[in-house]
Amino acid sequence: MGRTWLAVPRDWVASLGDIAKFAARDFYEIFGGRVFKFFGEALRQAGILILGSTLVIWSTTFILGLQCGIEGAYFNRSVGAPAYAGVFSAWCDLREIMPYAFGYMMAAKVGTGLVAEIGAMRISDEVDALEVMGISSMTFLCATRLLASWMVLPFMYIAAVGAGFFASYLAVVQQIGEVSSGGFFLIFWMFQNPPDLLYSLIKGMTMATFIVIVGAYYGYTASGGPVGVGTATAKSMVLNVVGVHLVGMLGTQIFWGSNPRAPIGG
Amino acid sequence: MAEEYERTEEQGELESEDQPTHVMEGGGSGTEAEEYQYHTGQQRDHGSDDAIEFIDVKKSFGRNTILNGLNLGIPDNMISMILGPSGTGKSVCIKHMVGLLYPDEGDVLVHGESVPNMADDDLFEMRKKFGVLFQDGALFGSMNLYDNVAFPLRQHTDKGEDEIAEIVNRRLKEVGLGGAGDKMPNELSGGMRKRAGFARALVLDPQIVLFDEPDSGLDPVRTALLCELIKEIHEENGGCYVVITHDIMSARRVAEYIAILWKGRIVESGPAQELFNSDNQFVRQFLSGEAKGPLGME
Repeated sequence: MGRTWLAVPRDWVASLGDIAKFAARDFYEIFGGRVFKFFGEALRQAGILILGSTLVIWSTTFILGLQCGIEGAYFNRSVGAPAYAGVFSAWCDLREIMPYAFGYMMAAKVGTGLVAEIGAMRISDEVDALEVMGISSMTFLCATRLLASWMVLPFMYIAAVGAGFFASYLAVVQQIGEVSSGGFFLIFWMFQNPPDLLYSLIKGMTMATFIVIVGAYYGYTASGGPVGVGTATAKSMVLNVVGVHLVGMLGTQIFWGSNPRAPIGG
Repeated sequence: MAEEYERTEEQGELESEDQPTHVMEGGGSGTEAEEYQYHTGQQRDHGSDDAIEFIDVKKSFGRNTILNGLNLGIPDNMISMILGPSGTGKSVCIKHMVGLLYPDEGDVLVHGESVPNMADDDLFEMRKKFGVLFQDGALFGSMNLYDNVAFPLRQHTDKGEDEIAEIVNRRLKEVGLGGAGDKMPNELSGGMRKRAGFARALVLDPQIVLFDEPDSGLDPVRTALLCELIKEIHEENGGCYVVITHDIMSARRVAEYIAILWKGRIVESGPAQELFNSDNQFVRQFLSGEAKGPLGME
């Protein structure tokens, strides 16, 4: 009886406040330069990110690029404008599907991996061992991973967008074949320009930063043995999926909501 | 801010693994005088300066009071043991010494400096005086044994790899793991992990070495061997060694100074032989491991 229905939302707000403080500390460690004492560790984490996550993220974006191309091609055929399939590929791939695909895979692969790794270190006293060696565990474990993600992910993201574009091209031009390669690219490039890529990159990187911070937070604060780490992993996944959609929605509203940046209409 | 997360974690860990069997505030029975009737708090002279001091330290997690006005001095250049029943706050003591936990009230001094009042950078600097052997060794699972032991040297010194190799191999040999440098922690037995953790704790030549239940999970022979190793290395290097345990055989083997902790306070402390001859009923019961006496299952 002691806990009212308000207790649950109050706990959520408290957790969000904790995560915000954790994020502020993480940013301070990076922008204050302390993380560069462990730059080797940041490079090691960057290597792990490249070797462990690149292929799976590019594969996902490639498959979703194929799907986007196929659906766009059939939809445009159904309205009698198959030559305009490139519009679908340009918008759907760059503005929505690629950031979401990137966010989902980051949450599933990198975010949960961070919780499991740091959480396991926490419950086996490895985090305390770092601290008593005179090494800031926050800097060594969390800030290095965030820095590594910032070093690697912009390039990985742009290449992922490329994989999605290539897949859409294959689907529309090579598989369905109702538009020529030149016709596809004419429309495809007409409906996007470099600022769109930048905006898409900002969406993707905001999602990635959110995911890395949430993963590091839940790992760093894990308690209660292996079950506690499992629970923390599940919680992080839920929050990350919600976060990915919030960032996606807000990003679209901010970057293209008032100006769709399309060569149509007045 | 980091301390807040650490405290949260420690609290969670404590709730799950180190839950005290008694609740002294809000749930205790009897008066404080009855509760602490065996706690003379007597600190017998040990003839040395204190390396670590606890001054009226109180620490609670929620409603559970773990340390309740703890006063304790740990002598320098001796192997000291903090003994006490399970869940009585021994590990919490160690975490206060290195600033992983802070007291709610009171102070903890290391070589005369107040740990709770240190700035972060000073605290990290102070921790370099310490080597800590955690219960399961706390080796980094992503590194092999050699890199685990070399890690503090690489982080805190400018030594070249040749010099590091010389130190690491010497320390590994000392603990009987000379040929195991390329093994990963998950390939080692519990005893090997503890010895490897010991090698890592010693690698920076610390002035204070803390052992959190080094005998837990070990068979009696390996416990005896580990105790011998602790004695040998202390004879060689000196310094303040603090061993947390509830194993009386280990205490008989290595302790030069003993403090008995119960219900968040020291019952008695002093040179080992004097404590083993103490008239205090609780001390006698605990050090002889008898069922009859003030300590029950509650």
